[in-house]
Amino acid sequence: MLKYLARRGITYLVMIFLTTSAGYFLAVSTLKPALLEQERIPRPTPEQVATSMRLKGLDPELSPWERYVEWLTAIVTRWDWGRSPNGAFINAEFGDRVWISTRLFLASIILTLIIGVALGVYSAARQYKFQDRVITSYSYLAYIVPAPIAYFLVQLGAININETVGQRIFFVTGISTPGMEPGWEQFVDMLAHYAVPTIAITLVGWGSYQIAQRQYLLDNVNADFVRTARAKGLTRNQAITRHALRVSFIPVAQSIAFTIPAIFAGGFFAEKIFAWPGVGSWSIDAISLQDVNAATATLAYGSVIFALGAILADFATTLVDPRVRVQ
Amino acid sequence: MTNLNAVDPAAAAQDAHLENADVVIGKNTIIFRRFMRNKTAVAGLAIFLALTLFSFVGGYFTQWDKETIDPFNIGMPPSAEHYLGTSQAGIDLYAMTVEGTRISILIGLIVGLVSVLIAAVYGCTMAYFGGKVDKVMLFVLEALIMMPALLVVAVATSGGGEGLKRDLPSWLLLIIVLLVFSWMGTARLIRSLSMSLMQRDFVKAAQYMGVPPRRIVWRHLVPNIGSLLVLDITRGVTGAILAEVAFSFIGIGIKVPDVSLGVLIGGATSQVQTFPWMFWVPLTVMFLLTGSLAMMNDGLRDAFDPSSSSSGKARKTKARRISAETATMKKKAS
Amino acid sequence: MSSETTAGPAESTGPVERLHIAGLHAATDAVLSVRDLNVRFNTENGVVHAVRGVDFDLLPGKTLGIVGESGSGKSVTSLAIMGLLPATAEISGSVRLKGRELLGLSDKAMCEYRGNELAMVFQDPLSSLTPVYTVGTQITEALTIHNPTMSRQAKEARAVELLAMVGIPSPKDRLRAFPHEFSGGMRQRVMIAIAIANNPRVLIADEPTTALDVTIQAQVLEVLHRAQEETGAAVVMITHDLGVVAGMADEIMVMYAGKPVETGEVDEIYYNPRMPYTMGLLGAVPRVDVAEKTSLVPIEGMPPNLLHQPTGCSFAPRCPLVSDACLAGEPALAPVAGGVQHRAACIKAESLGGADVDVQDVFAAPPVPVSRFDSIPRTERSTVLQLKDVRKHFPLTRGALFKRRIGTVKAVDGLSFDIREGECFSIVGESGSGKTTTLLEIMEFHKDQDGEVVIGGISNKQAVDAKTKSAMRRELQMVFQDPTGALDPRFTVYEVLAEPLQNVGMDRPAIRKRIMELMKLVGLQPDHVNRFPNQFSGGQRQRIGIARALAVNPKLVVLDEPVSALDVSVQAGVINLLDKLRAELGLSYLLVAHDLSVVRHISNRVAVMYLGKIVEIGEVDRVFDNPRHPYTRALLSAIPVPDPQLERTRERIILQGDLPSPLDAPKGCNFATRCPVFAALPPAKQEKCLTLEPPLEPVAPSAATQALEAAPVPSPDQRFACFFPDGELDEDMLVVHEPADHHAP
Repeated sequence: MLKYLARRGITYLVMIFLTTSAGYFLAVSTLKPALLEQERIPRPTPEQVATSMRLKGLDPELSPWERYVEWLTAIVTRWDWGRSPNGAFINAEFGDRVWISTRLFLASIILTLIIGVALGVYSAARQYKFQDRVITSYSYLAYIVPAPIAYFLVQLGAININETVGQRIFFVTGISTPGMEPGWEQFVDMLAHYAVPTIAITLVGWGSYQIAQRQYLLDNVNADFVRTARAKGLTRNQAITRHALRVSFIPVAQSIAFTIPAIFAGGFFAEKIFAWPGVGSWSIDAISLQDVNAATATLAYGSVIFALGAILADFATTLVDPRVRVQ
Repeated sequence: MTNLNAVDPAAAAQDAHLENADVVIGKNTIIFRRFMRNKTAVAGLAIFLALTLFSFVGGYFTQWDKETIDPFNIGMPPSAEHYLGTSQAGIDLYAMTVEGTRISILIGLIVGLVSVLIAAVYGCTMAYFGGKVDKVMLFVLEALIMMPALLVVAVATSGGGEGLKRDLPSWLLLIIVLLVFSWMGTARLIRSLSMSLMQRDFVKAAQYMGVPPRRIVWRHLVPNIGSLLVLDITRGVTGAILAEVAFSFIGIGIKVPDVSLGVLIGGATSQVQTFPWMFWVPLTVMFLLTGSLAMMNDGLRDAFDPSSSSSGKARKTKARRISAETATMKKKAS
Repeated sequence: MSSETTAGPAESTGPVERLHIAGLHAATDAVLSVRDLNVRFNTENGVVHAVRGVDFDLLPGKTLGIVGESGSGKSVTSLAIMGLLPATAEISGSVRLKGRELLGLSDKAMCEYRGNELAMVFQDPLSSLTPVYTVGTQITEALTIHNPTMSRQAKEARAVELLAMVGIPSPKDRLRAFPHEFSGGMRQRVMIAIAIANNPRVLIADEPTTALDVTIQAQVLEVLHRAQEETGAAVVMITHDLGVVAGMADEIMVMYAGKPVETGEVDEIYYNPRMPYTMGLLGAVPRVDVAEKTSLVPIEGMPPNLLHQPTGCSFAPRCPLVSDACLAGEPALAPVAGGVQHRAACIKAESLGGADVDVQDVFAAPPVPVSRFDSIPRTERSTVLQLKDVRKHFPLTRGALFKRRIGTVKAVDGLSFDIREGECFSIVGESGSGKTTTLLEIMEFHKDQDGEVVIGGISNKQAVDAKTKSAMRRELQMVFQDPTGALDPRFTVYEVLAEPLQNVGMDRPAIRKRIMELMKLVGLQPDHVNRFPNQFSGGQRQRIGIARALAVNPKLVVLDEPVSALDVSVQAGVINLLDKLRAELGLSYLLVAHDLSVVRHISNRVAVMYLGKIVEIGEVDRVFDNPRHPYTRALLSAIPVPDPQLERTRERIILQGDLPSPLDAPKGCNFATRCPVFAALPPAKQEKCLTLEPPLEPVAPSAATQALEAAPVPSPDQRFACFFPDGELDEDMLVVHEPADHHAP
């Protein structure tokens, strides 16, 4: 088991290294922070720009390969992921960003999973009945709406509520109102900020879990072992809840395990629409700000999260499925 | 494949005699009939075709194009002059929608078709060679899956790449990037499917007859994963359209002056209150597009999958259980 | 045996009175009585009438065998009794358990009976247990449902007791094992343990051994027998195999097209069948215990479509004795004159009694084909296939996700044999014995193999270029087990048959001509070439597979379980065809089959494999009539024969446990761990078995023969690998089913 995990881990490390390196080269050869600097007023001379860049380790005169070696050495020896063109240190900014993403997604992903799986079971039990059709149609609808548009529509709805009521109940963007005193006021403010993004992400997210859970359960409803359970004297519903449900949860557990690390990686669309400066929006901003180091760092972070998810999914499978356990 | 439908009339008569009407029809005919029987799927197909037609000939029904500014009608709601109204800059929305729909459909079709093609070639190659080739190709594939597509999209379309941007319209650039990141899942699926097909007795039979491997792949593997390919094309088209809209919506996909549904929707978000038509019209078109594709996909899946019963009555399942039951009875230990 | 089965009133009454009387009678005697059971399913194509008018009474402790082919409605009948059919099935009639009506009860109300007084064992043990729960949990669940007050300790003790009863070693530890850690046979034992947990009054077993090896089948049947003795339950045994029920059943019901067509006491059905279908079924099965060489009885055609209400006898389209009267209304199940409890649904039942009716004549069985090679001594015929010390070793890995290598499996370990022109050579053994791997090794044919394979004079060591390989492919072709899987569903028959011909570069007109010839050769209508495989029945598909194998005129055809996926009545036709082709075309066969009766019927020579090695080889009649290796003896003894009297009295060897993992293969004789002779040997002799590997040696001609003949006789064609072929068998592994005593001396 350990040996297996070690082997998987090494494979993923190699992959992370390769994707990150590829990402760095792509970024370093397309992103030119010096060009942006020159649009500043008063306009700096090219020499000034070059010096300022060199000081931040972003020397545009070096070849991509030289810069790559420099960048890699800094990471390997000092765990220093470099600086942004505005002088900020990547390492320092990173923690804040991850924390913001986590706050944005934690609640909604947990809600998504619970609602998705519960509705999946419910709709499978009422296959082809009215409730099933409504729930499943909703999930398919969620599938054909691009996520950012769905978020935007929820925002519109919240704004409408605010207008109808005549006072600001929900904040549709931002994390919190600055300058709040700690206490009840701040708590209410937090709820008002969290409500819209959480609802929006949950509404969009549960569909795929509902469809998957419903399908896996239906695949097992007529399984031979359910028949055996009924032959023992369980009613059909008892047999399904005690036997089919547990088996159908195996693949769902796997995909849940895959999702969990993603909480920390954030989502580009949600962060962008709701104006939460998390990891996701950082990666996009990095590109528009021609920030090579930040872009690469977020890319590396994304790869690590993916690898973690894959390993966690393996773990989850061994946890819920005795057939893959090593004796 | 050509004579799949060529049922010998004498044989057909014979079978009528056998009173087993549903087995005499060729497989493709069955699939076609099942699809046509599914009203939702047919409606989806009709809507999709209508939209495609609209996107190509719709431009002829108006004198306006997507660039001409009408200085007398700035930010006007729909009227006889401008069927769908005009934008804040005085550009006809109808003309822009026609253009945007075309670009979106184009992106969807090209990405959907080409990515499935890449996936099929890549997946079959992996399954066919196996061993080391398979391992290396799988590694590349997983590394690509790991790469956050959006970031690369952003880098390629908004970051630098000035040279690229000058030579290529942004929609073509987006197509290329979407293509690079859209085929891996399908490729993996095709690989595992072909691998299980390679284990089937009829493939073994051909191998033991000495049929050359290339011919086995072409005659036995490809036709048998055909249904999966068709399904993946419709799924890929939907995915590409959605991706385009999402990317353009947050401003990193297609860039003005190019128009697409995503650009139109994204550009109108700030004016939903003032110019609602600018937002809702392209959004409706997008829904029609992705919705019709989803309806078609559903119908196709039902048509291909003999064991699917999502289209209807619970009754079907029983007949199947009985036949499954009788089939298992035949199974004896080997 | 005869009068104790059903002392019911039906004996003396006609079918009309039956229903009326059943009600009076059932409460006292029959534990389960079924009256006029009908099941209909609404399908897309129309109403399928799956069960039509089933009646029976089951007395306590007795066994009813329901025999039928796939689609005959036997399984649907059992599910209807259990109340396990989907809610949309239309069920009518009456099912009474100890006088209480079960039909029409709600799912919840049925639960009181299911698993308690009425229990069932299903066909496929691999999928019938929930994979995520331990075996102990699943047994305990059955106890908890019906005994909510039972303590945890009591339930666990009972579970251990049950596992011990069904013969699972170290039951206490195995409680915590998951189903996937058990073999198929073991899982079926667990299923039986669950079924008998609450001492049911009626136990329904639906093809309980169909998915298992013969040796394991013998074990499981033994367990069922013991379970019945322990619980005193009445058993309904559903099967397609007339051999399986012959020794167990007291009464038999033969079903066809959803309807019982013949019922009666077991001996009556086997020795005096009155319905042509029953006669055909009995004649269609080859016998493992008889050396006879007669053709099997083929039943032409296929069972009717249950979508249509039959207007006449549903067997009429396939019946050789059909007359106009048969088509005028479906015959009712009527008592047969002279028979005890015997009823048949045939208007000619009366004329079919007696010893003068020969089933071979009735069904026009073809004459036994004679090959031109039969008269030439074996040694003078040329060799078509020779294997010299072929080995195939696989690395063994464990775990589905976390694979790790834990050893080497010697799937084939030093195999040598040859096949001469015009002969059929068979390999038999349990699954896992390496017989299929042997076939694959022959078919693969490349020079990196360990050992030499010579096909038609071409050795695999020379197979470097494509030309040699394609020359070999023309000598050797294969027929697969599953006729459906072996044909590309997207090819017409024409394309299927054209593929090998195109491959050897034949031109179009020649291909066309050859395909027409082939169709006629295998008994298919030539104008069916434009059809797709799914338009044919299983037997016809297998004929297409045979035609494809014969297309390039090979000398040797490899047959991998060619009839095991077919129904009994269809199987006979295919076996007869294979027999005929061998004689007419001078073919040689290499046959792999688990059904020893089929092997005996069509082969000339046979090899018995155990864990990758041949343990006995020789002429088929010699090996089967005078088996020397204990494994061969056990294998032969495990086959049930369709002869109730013989089955009831014969002594059988029940091997213990499953085929061991090839990893555990001991240094000496592979078979020692399960050997009935070894178990009875004194330790000194056991030592020899454990340390030395017995060589494959010829049988010495018996002393009597040598004394009679002046000159030394050539040793007979039979070799075996055992040190103590004449050793006594261990008593624990011998079983005789006499009603009174259990372990016969």
